[in-house]
Amino acid sequence: MSTFSIASTTGETIRLAGVSKTYETASGPLPVLRDINLQVEAGEFISFVGPSGCGKSTLLKIIAGLVSYDTGTVEVGDQKPKAGREDIGFMLQQSVLMPWLNVSKNVELPFVIARRQDVSTSRRVEELLDLVGLSSVASLNSWELSGGMQQRVALARALALDPGIMLMDEPFSALDEFKREYLNIEVAQMADQLGKTTLLVTHSIGEAVLMSDRIIALGANPGRTVGDIAVDLERPRRADMIGTDQYQQICNEVRAALASDLAGETL
Amino acid sequence: MTNSVFYRIGLPVLVGVVLVATWQLMSNFGMINEIMIPSPAAIVVGFSELVTRGYFWDSTWVTLQETLYGFAIGVSLGLIIGALTGTFQTFRTAFYPFVIAFQNTPRVALAPIFLTWFGFGITSKVVMAAVICFFPVVINTVAGMASVDDNAKMLFRTMGASKSQTFFRLTLPGASAIAFAGVKTALTLALLGAIVAEFVGGSVGLGVLIKELNFQLEVAKAFSVVLFLAVIGLVLYGLIELLERYLITWKQD
Repeated sequence: MSTFSIASTTGETIRLAGVSKTYETASGPLPVLRDINLQVEAGEFISFVGPSGCGKSTLLKIIAGLVSYDTGTVEVGDQKPKAGREDIGFMLQQSVLMPWLNVSKNVELPFVIARRQDVSTSRRVEELLDLVGLSSVASLNSWELSGGMQQRVALARALALDPGIMLMDEPFSALDEFKREYLNIEVAQMADQLGKTTLLVTHSIGEAVLMSDRIIALGANPGRTVGDIAVDLERPRRADMIGTDQYQQICNEVRAALASDLAGETL
Repeated sequence: MTNSVFYRIGLPVLVGVVLVATWQLMSNFGMINEIMIPSPAAIVVGFSELVTRGYFWDSTWVTLQETLYGFAIGVSLGLIIGALTGTFQTFRTAFYPFVIAFQNTPRVALAPIFLTWFGFGITSKVVMAAVICFFPVVINTVAGMASVDDNAKMLFRTMGASKSQTFFRLTLPGASAIAFAGVKTALTLALLGAIVAEFVGGSVGLGVLIKELNFQLEVAKAFSVVLFLAVIGLVLYGLIELLERYLITWKQD
């Protein structure tokens, strides 16, 4: 990947205070989040970890304005959450590329939707593809790429409108271990360069430690904060940090926070 | 081996040649009643006589018109109704049960009714062809629209896509591969509908010709028209496959 030079938008702050969410299901109300309080500074990289059903993805969707919340307040860059904001880039577990568009047209899609195509768009798409190391496959069909390359295209697409906030919902979980670790490092280094506020949902404690400034451990039933662990590994992050004592110690802190919830000892 | 030209093309051709040769030999040795099942040679002779007659080509033109008009009307309506059904829940709730119910009735039984309504001319055949090929298009269009990935819909929401942008840039292309499978089925069914309607009541057309040749015990010629219809069906299917490859370039085999 090349050095990124086209990011003009810096990160935005995110504030959540007393946020709760209950889904209405056929078998009755299902509380998924309870009293979530969180302050995310501009440019900070935060990961949410926790067991399945702890509301990690719901939390991300609330911030993206895709899901409503029942109580509390949410401020995303001094505004209430709203779907379709151009200052938020979103990445999902699957790359969700449009098979009828080639690689560069997939990256161009946010411009098309936002009706912001102009003479500079194709240049920007080229720069984004260069950023994720896919310039050579710009004209290929998206389905001809490997899973890792498809996620890179999704990353370039999420960055297309130069958002201040990146929301990533388990974007690496469908990849094999090698590609996953490789992309973890690349995205962590890119986050350093771009200065975007980044929220990552992951099941992998190691991934969270390797990439984040801070890790929010969530307990389940309903989802609530059981740990807020600072990651003071130096930046830029490197693969050789995995396995160091400091890395292991932080992993253990996150595990301890999650285990305390499983034992019924919430913080 | 399985990728060689001989395997993919030569093998079915060889099987065809063996079957036709066996059929011819059995006819030559009197093992098949030629009045009931004429030999391949008799069919070729019968066909070579037919193609010299003006009424054969008139019949072909009429049947082709009935098929293609019926196909165009049936597919257009099928795509529109399918898109409305797939888009609007109220429309789906109100009308889709009737589509399903009608799909499961033997539509060829409507041919005599259409004859009464629209007469012995081309209209009753076009309507029959349209009605018979309408349903697979509706059902495949609805299925195609339902198959569009929920994650893709969510992604479009995060990008702030309007309803029309979501429809034209996601739902329509996302549904097209499955919808087109219905269009391909519809083409074959349109030809079937036109022929059935001609059987029931018509003055010109390949269906009428088959019926008349059969009454005259010109079975070899009747067989040749059936085989000619098969060729027409194959050519039309080939054309629609070409169109599919042109329109749906991303279909992954």
